[in-house]
Amino acid sequence: MNTQEILTAIQTSPIAHAVSKSNHLVGAILQIVHVLGIILLLAALVLLSLRLAGLTFAKQSVRDVGRDSLRLMRIGIVLALVSGVLMFIAAPQLYWKNEAFQIKMVLFVLAIIVQAVFVRRVANQDAPSAGFARFSATLSLVLWFGVGLSGRVIGFL
Amino acid sequence: MSLLSTLMPAAERIEQWPLAAAIAESRYAFPIIEGIHLIGLSVSVGLIFLTDLRLMGLLFRHVPVNDVLRHLRPYVLTGFALVFISGGLLGLAEASALLQSPAFPFKMLFLLLAGINALYFELRIAKRAPVIENHPVLPRSVKYAGAASLGLWTLVIVFGRLIPYLPNWG
Repeated sequence: MNTQEILTAIQTSPIAHAVSKSNHLVGAILQIVHVLGIILLLAALVLLSLRLAGLTFAKQSVRDVGRDSLRLMRIGIVLALVSGVLMFIAAPQLYWKNEAFQIKMVLFVLAIIVQAVFVRRVANQDAPSAGFARFSATLSLVLWFGVGLSGRVIGFL
Repeated sequence: MSLLSTLMPAAERIEQWPLAAAIAESRYAFPIIEGIHLIGLSVSVGLIFLTDLRLMGLLFRHVPVNDVLRHLRPYVLTGFALVFISGGLLGLAEASALLQSPAFPFKMLFLLLAGINALYFELRIAKRAPVIENHPVLPRSVKYAGAASLGLWTLVIVFGRLIPYLPNWG
């Protein structure tokens, strides 16, 4: 099965039909859930980064601020991922060829790896080394903001 | 819709301003400004969401409410500067489409209500002694203001995202 056949199979699946043939407000609702998830995720990451840089909540340990920030990031990622997958299933051929979508997916995979390998580790310490904290936060901010920006471009190509 | 037909010529004139036309015609300007709008939103409204969850006692309970407000305020305001500048530019470039969209006036209405709620909270509720002195138990009004803010800002985002989806007036 080549890529084209897989995309066609997705597009003709019952879920794809259910999403694309439904009222166009279903598509709008998916978009709303997607953007709310991304806003939640980015805001929690900004807050965590500010704490790692020592700019906010300096009286609380990184672990204390990190616990709630990571939980919110997880909720945001799940909301964005579920709604995003449904949108993709409804029009896979359209998205697959879109350059902004391709860039978004590369950045997204990298952001998830950085989240699992660096951000989670750094946020679970009471006082992580400043260099490691700054490196993780900067990398994560660049990647996730890149995901948001490239995602916003998809509809214009 | 006579109001619409009265305002339409003005909206069309705005779209012809050099700045508005340049944004509308550029291949990259519009999506990039949209991207800046989203990033500004995630910093301003996003951090307000986190503040609301703290006011409601759901998150960051070990951080005093007063610290949350004081520490996050400069970033929230910076985010809003980005949101209003980018939103204003987008509005110039598609003034007549906004005028025709029923979602846009609802977005503005909820934005106004969210602003009034925030002002009332900052000027009244946040100035009460238990908040300033970081009492462990805060007045109920703190929780209500947080819930109201969470709901109103969510509606601003919902109606903003609905702008291209709802059918036009009339």
